[in-house]
Amino acid sequence: MSERALGRAFLTPAFVVMGLLALFPIVYAAYESLFDFDFFTRTDFVGLANYVDQLTSPRFWSAVFVTIAFTVVSVTLEFIVGMIFALIMNAAFKGRNVTRAVILLPWVVPTVIAGQMWRYLFEQRPGYINEWLGLGAIDWLGSGASMFWAVVIADWWKTAPFVGLLLLAGLQTIPNEVYEAARVDGATWTQRFRNVTLPLLTPSIVVALLFRSVDALRIFDLADIMTNARLETLSVLAQRSIVRAPQPDIANTLAVLTFVMIMGIGLIFIAMMGRDVVGEPEEGS
Amino acid sequence: MSKNPFLLRAVGLLAVLALVAAACGPAPDEDDEAAPDPEDTAFTWAVTGADGPTMEAVADLWNEENPEQQVELELLPPEADDQRQAMFNDQVTEAGQYDVLGLDVIWTGEFAEAGFIENLEDMRDSVEGTSIPGAIESAQHEGELYALPYSTNFGFLYYRTDLVDEPPETWEELYDTVLEVQEENPDIDGYVGQGDSYEGFVVNYLEFLWSDGGEVFDEAATESLLLEGDHAEKAITFMRDAFEEGVFAADFNTMVEDDARLAFQAGDAIFMRNWPYAYPLLAGEDEDDPTEVADDFDIAPMPAFEGAPVDTISTLGGLNNAVSTLSENQDVAREFVEWAATDDGPQEILAEMQPPPTKASIYENYEDIVPEDQAPVYEVLNLVREDARARPPVPGYNSFSLAVQEELHGVYADGDDPGPALEAVNEAAENALVEDPEDVIEEEADVDEDE
Repeated sequence: MSERALGRAFLTPAFVVMGLLALFPIVYAAYESLFDFDFFTRTDFVGLANYVDQLTSPRFWSAVFVTIAFTVVSVTLEFIVGMIFALIMNAAFKGRNVTRAVILLPWVVPTVIAGQMWRYLFEQRPGYINEWLGLGAIDWLGSGASMFWAVVIADWWKTAPFVGLLLLAGLQTIPNEVYEAARVDGATWTQRFRNVTLPLLTPSIVVALLFRSVDALRIFDLADIMTNARLETLSVLAQRSIVRAPQPDIANTLAVLTFVMIMGIGLIFIAMMGRDVVGEPEEGS
Repeated sequence: MSKNPFLLRAVGLLAVLALVAAACGPAPDEDDEAAPDPEDTAFTWAVTGADGPTMEAVADLWNEENPEQQVELELLPPEADDQRQAMFNDQVTEAGQYDVLGLDVIWTGEFAEAGFIENLEDMRDSVEGTSIPGAIESAQHEGELYALPYSTNFGFLYYRTDLVDEPPETWEELYDTVLEVQEENPDIDGYVGQGDSYEGFVVNYLEFLWSDGGEVFDEAATESLLLEGDHAEKAITFMRDAFEEGVFAADFNTMVEDDARLAFQAGDAIFMRNWPYAYPLLAGEDEDDPTEVADDFDIAPMPAFEGAPVDTISTLGGLNNAVSTLSENQDVAREFVEWAATDDGPQEILAEMQPPPTKASIYENYEDIVPEDQAPVYEVLNLVREDARARPPVPGYNSFSLAVQEELHGVYADGDDPGPALEAVNEAAENALVEDPEDVIEEEADVDEDE
């Protein structure tokens, strides 16, 4: 056996385990989505009928819209603030370690607890946020656009530090010499940020945006906890279909459609911006 | 990694937090005395953990009386959806760990239709005339018993005696009273209840619907009557107007039972719709849960609409006990279910604790049984129990309920158009009556082709 073949043989068990753990549930859900269900019992093979039902359902498209809107808005906000956090955490100043710890605290809080906390803050009784901001009786969680923003704000608070952490890791790989050279050439802070930091940080930015977008597209916990599932994202709809309904055919179909959407968006990301990230040896480790 | 001690520290911090969290968890096996000897354990009773101490007391009593056939109490999560999921899992995986299932009153049809629970029609004689009629109604599927009554729950009106002289008898009167009181006390909320998009909202909506003479189904549950007359629309538009005008509290649309109770208990509301559990807490039973209204509240039957054929209405809550079809201990399971429904022991435990029992004789002789501070509750329960209604336990009750939550919450809280929303709920009600709506649609299509 050649060394190459031996290597393959040794890798096979690992790939089989990964395939079983990661691939099997997806493939099985896709398979089951082709059937009708009577309660939890699989009945007739219906082909793509479940997909036709979902793709023609206004409720499905409304959930798609909510999910994508949430992703675009929350990831944009998190990226901006995360970048600021990263620059602060990267700067050399007294008390930097304390600052870093404080910035990262929200990310350490489990999402369910963060959700409960924000729900309590947004609720009209006792009404902390309305009072602090002098807003009067704003109904943040009950209905309409306000609950979208309430969940965005909670997610923003929770995950901006995570984006900051990913970007910080990237910032630390930029050698100081490059900045010194730029400074010698008389570059201002803005010029250094635009011409040195941003280009060298691109791989980290792509990774951060990819991670966050994929994660945001799955948003379930905050919407479920804060608005009692009134903010109906794709994952909320799928969860309702399996737990509260229960209609496994619809839930499987929704899960597969969500998977395809997230996978597609992830691939577009990688194809558009990330050619230099994928397959490139990691730097500085 | 050595380049980045900070990341290392962050990971270390996480590890410490995880250890702290683990250390804060309950120590295992502290309270082992009550656990039955595993050798004598004959069967398992799976029931909500919401009233855990009551269930434990009932299980302990059974174990005292039946040393050879001990029951193991399996307390499920307090949330209804989670209990249902646990029972589904037991059935779908054919684990059969649960012999007796404590079913929410709205699940009878669904569980019976799915073949999860045994037909108990042959035990009808033991509960007919013994249990209250509404509870028996809720334990039936297609006219036959699939469970026996165990506990119940009624809603009634809590009101502030320092702000209101007499409790309102109609919704219109309640509406006007709130506006009048608010003229003097602009900061006080009017009516609080269960308005979040969940089962509690369905309970509240049905009370508005029924108290105008509206119905969801005909008596035999063969067709939806929701859109007969304008009752359904009147009920939801009353809620919408009351919410918009501030007769309902501004956060009515996100309230569950305890949000309403806390608001009323803090003295922030004039009226509240709630279950009996709130009464002792409002009266100051729990020192750690201070009350502002201990001497300033009373209870009364729920109002009805002016000119309605009924004076009051209450949606019934509660639990029925069913026997799992997977149970290998059918005989003792049935014995337990009958005992819990008809014996004075367990039923009096319910009367002394929470939730209320289903045995009618306890209501007749409540003065000798319930603690003195609970007596006013039973006085009002006796007024409302004849008019209390079970939510229709049809096979598709769950999807009907989800439609009410999803469609009608937006109508009263967000100004959605009631017309299409009620059409959608009506369709869900029609579908709730049949086994699998899709099959029926296909069958109808086949018939059309034949013609």
